[in-house]
Amino acid sequence: MVRKSKYENTVLDPRAALMLLFLVTVVVFAQQSLYLELALVAALISLFLYSGLFKNGLILFLGFGFLLALQYYIFPNAPQVFAHFFAILTTYARKVFPCIMVGMLIVKTIPMRYLILAMRKWRFPQKLIIPLSVTLCYFPVIREEIGHIRDAMKLRKVKGIAKAEAIFVPLIFSAANTAEELGAAAVTRGIENPAPKTSVIELRFRLQDYICLVVSLIFVWAAFWLRRGAV
Amino acid sequence: MSTTEVTSKKLKGKDLITIGIFSAIYFAVNFIFMMAAALHPIMWILMPGFIALFTGVPYMILASKVKKAGAVLIMGLISGLIYYATGMFTVVILITFASACLLAEVIRLATKYKSFTGNSISFAVFSVGMIGSPLPMWLFKDSFFKQISEQTGQGGIVSGNYLSILSNLATDGMLIVLILAPIVLGGIGALIARALFKKHFVKAGIV
Amino acid sequence: MITIDNVSFDYNREKNTLKNINLHIRSGECVLICGKSGCGKTTMTRLVNGLIPHFTENGRLEGKVVVAGMDVAKTELYKLSEKIGSVFQNPKSQFFNVNSDAELAFGLENIGATPEYMRERLKATVEELQIEQLEHRSIFTMSGGERQMLAFASIYAMNPDIYVLDEPTANLDEHAIEIFRRQLEELKRRGKTILIAEHRLYFLTDFIDRAVYMENGEIISIYTRDRFIALSDEQRIKMGLRTLRANDFQVNDFPMLSSQNVLTVKNLCCEIKGRPVFDQVNFHVSSGEIVGIKGSNGVGKSTLVRCICGLTKEKNGSVSLDGRPLTQKQRNRECYCVMQDVNHQLFGDSTWNECELSAGGCRETEIKAVLRSFDLLEYIDTHPMALSGGQKQRLAIACGVLSGKKILVFDEPTSGLDYDHMLAVAGMIQKLAKRKHIILVVTHDIEFLNCVCDRTIALTFNELQQKDNGGN
Repeated sequence: MVRKSKYENTVLDPRAALMLLFLVTVVVFAQQSLYLELALVAALISLFLYSGLFKNGLILFLGFGFLLALQYYIFPNAPQVFAHFFAILTTYARKVFPCIMVGMLIVKTIPMRYLILAMRKWRFPQKLIIPLSVTLCYFPVIREEIGHIRDAMKLRKVKGIAKAEAIFVPLIFSAANTAEELGAAAVTRGIENPAPKTSVIELRFRLQDYICLVVSLIFVWAAFWLRRGAV
Repeated sequence: MSTTEVTSKKLKGKDLITIGIFSAIYFAVNFIFMMAAALHPIMWILMPGFIALFTGVPYMILASKVKKAGAVLIMGLISGLIYYATGMFTVVILITFASACLLAEVIRLATKYKSFTGNSISFAVFSVGMIGSPLPMWLFKDSFFKQISEQTGQGGIVSGNYLSILSNLATDGMLIVLILAPIVLGGIGALIARALFKKHFVKAGIV
Repeated sequence: MITIDNVSFDYNREKNTLKNINLHIRSGECVLICGKSGCGKTTMTRLVNGLIPHFTENGRLEGKVVVAGMDVAKTELYKLSEKIGSVFQNPKSQFFNVNSDAELAFGLENIGATPEYMRERLKATVEELQIEQLEHRSIFTMSGGERQMLAFASIYAMNPDIYVLDEPTANLDEHAIEIFRRQLEELKRRGKTILIAEHRLYFLTDFIDRAVYMENGEIISIYTRDRFIALSDEQRIKMGLRTLRANDFQVNDFPMLSSQNVLTVKNLCCEIKGRPVFDQVNFHVSSGEIVGIKGSNGVGKSTLVRCICGLTKEKNGSVSLDGRPLTQKQRNRECYCVMQDVNHQLFGDSTWNECELSAGGCRETEIKAVLRSFDLLEYIDTHPMALSGGQKQRLAIACGVLSGKKILVFDEPTSGLDYDHMLAVAGMIQKLAKRKHIILVVTHDIEFLNCVCDRTIALTFNELQQKDNGGN
C-alpha cells in the first residue's frame, strides 16, 4: 500500500516554472513571426516529452495542429458563417496556446505545496498565501458539496429557478460553517505565528531549470529582434 | 473581570480562511463563465457581465463577514494567480483586475465597510476587472487583424466581409458594452444578493 | 498543568454557558468531560485551547485559565498552540492542504521548525502512530476515519504537551475508534496531558484518570476512574450518558412482519469508476420494519443507499417494491433519505416553507400535525439553518413524511448525539415504522442499532451477509 510520492523528482523547480510562464507570456505577446511561434511550441512539446508527459504532449501537438489547420485550410474553405463564429476564438486560442501549455505543465508536474513554497521563497505575504491554499483545498469540497445537494434535490420536488437557489444557498451556508470550523483549527495550529515559515522540502535549481530559462530568454530576445527587423 | 475585545483592524487567521473559502466559490462561478466564453465571441464580451450577475452573493457575504481592508484585494489576487499559473491569464487582465480590486477596496474604505450600497458599488467596480480578458481584442487590434488577414490571404480568399464582422465586434460601441455590462449586471447581482440576504442569510444568522 | 479558576463564560450576554468552573488537571492526567448535548463540554475545551477568548467575538469571560504556566486570556493563540494541540469533531474541516505529507508538516512549518527537526518529527509520527498508509495521499481520497487520523497525527507531529480533543470520534466507526484508542494510550504512556470531551465513552474507560460530569454549564461531579466505571446503567442513563462498556453486537432478529409492501433488493451490484463496490447484495424489508445496515467506513454503505434511492445506477440486479422492479426515477419518487449532513437537504427560508416545498399540496392541518409530532410547531417561522442540529434533523424527517414517500433511509442519524438524543431519534424512527414506512438505517453506532433495529444486515467487503434469514 505504501506508495512513493510521485513528485519526489519534479522536473522543474516551481520558481523556474513560474518564471518560464512569465517569459513565455512575454514572447507570446511580443512575437509576430509564425516560425518563432512554431519553434516555441516545438520547444515546449519537447519539454513535455522530457517530463515524461507523452500523452499530453501528443494531445497538445494535435491540438495546435488542429488550430493551424482550422485557420489555414478550413476557415478559408468553409462557409463564412462558420468562420465568423470561430475566427476570433481560434486566433486567440492559438495566440495564448504556449501559455496554456506551460500552465498545463505546472498543473501536471508540480504539486500545490511546491508552488506555495515558491511563493514563500519569493516573500509573498502570508496574508495571500494562507487564503490561496485554502481556496485550492476548497475546490474539491465544492464539488463534493454540490454532489450531495443535487442528490438531496432529486429526492425532493425542487423545480425551475428554485433549483439554482437550492444549490447556491446550502453551498454558502456550508462555506460559512466551514470558515468557522477551519478558522478554529487554523489558529490552534499556529497559523498566526509570526515566525518565518520553514519547509521540509528544499527547493533547488538544477541544470534543466537553467536551460529552460536561458532558452526562453533567447526566445524573448528573438521575438523583439524579429519584430524590429519587420518594422 | 475581563471583557474580551477581538475587533482588530488587521486581518486575522479566521478572516484569511474566510477569504480563502469564498474566493473558491467566486472563482468556481467565474471559471464556469470563462469556459462558456469559448462558445461564441459575444459570450466572451459579455462574460464579465455574466460573472458579475452570479458572483454577487459570495462577494457580498465576504464583504459583510470580513469588514476589513484587503479582503477583496486578496480575493482578486487569488483568482488572478490561479488563472495566471494555469496559463489562462494574460498580463492585461492582471492589470485590469488588480486596479479594479484596489478601486473596490478604496470604495469599501470610504463607505466604512458597513453600507450595503457601498459594498454593491465596490462589487460593480470589482466586476469590471474581468474585462481584461477580451480587452486584447482592442488593445492588440492591429496584430490580431494582421494575423487573421494573413491567414485568410494565404488561403486564397480575402474576405472583406469576414474582416468587417471582426472589426464590428471590436468597435468602440462593443467596448462600451464590455465595460457597462459588468457595472449594470453587477448592480443586479448585488440586488439578488440583497434578496437572498433577506430571505436566508440574515434570518439564519450567518452574516 | 491546567488550572481553571472560578470561570464563568457566556457567548452573547444571554444566559451563562459556563458557571463557576473550577478544575485543576495535573501533568500527565487524562480527563474526560461528559454530559448531555449543550452542557458546555465544547466550551470547556475552548477555554483551555484559547479559542475562548481569542476566537470568540462578543463573549464575556470571568475568572482565569492557566495552561502550562500561561495565562490563556493574555497569551497569543499561536504561543498557546505550541504547547496545546487541538483536534475537532468534523474531519472535513481541519485541512489546509490537499496532500497528506504537506498536512503533517503544516503545524511545524508554521512555528518555523528547522527542516532537520521536521523530518525527524514526521518520521517519528508516522512510526509511532503506525500511519504509513496515510503517507503521500490526496486527502480527498480518504475516508472520514482516515481524515480524522491524519488530523490527529498532524497535531502529534507538533509534539504538544497537552491534547485537547473535542468529540474526536463523532464521525468514526468502531474500527477507527479502536485505532484512535490505541493512539490515545500511547499519548498517555508518553506522559501527555489529555482533555477529551466525548459522547461515546466505552473506548475511554480503560485509561482516563478522572471524568468530569457537567450539566447546564456547571460541573456537577468529578469521578475517579474507578467510581466512574462503577456507575450502574440506571445511573448512567439518568445522567444521559452513552454506554460505558464496549457494545456487543446483539442481534435483534425479529421475523419479517408481513409479506406486503416489500422492498426487495436482488443481486445488486454497483461500481464506481469501473471498480465494483459491492456485489450480489440481497435482502428484503417489509413495511413497518426497521432494518439496520452496518459495516465499517468505506465498505459501500452509502453507495448501497444511494443506489436504493436511485441516485447511482446499478451495474446489475434490481430494486423492487411489491415485486415490481423500479427504475432510477421511480426510486427517486419512492425513497427519501435523511442525510448524514442534513444541511444539504434543507432549501426553504422557513420551517413552514420547507414543509410546503416537500408536501406538494398537502393541507395545512396535515403539515401542522406532522410538525407538532416532531416538536417543531413553535419554530414555523424560523429559518431552517437557525435551528439546532437535532431540530434540523427532525425537520428533514418531517419533510420526508410529508412528501408521502414509502421508503425512508437514515444515513448515520446519530453521529455526535448524546444518549437522550439518540433515544429520541430511535423513538421517532419507531413511530415512523408504526406508520408503515419501510425503514433502512445505515449506521456504525452499535448502541443505536441494538436499540432501534428489528434486523441488521452487515455489509462486508464485496459481499453482503445477512445476519438472519428473515427475508429469504
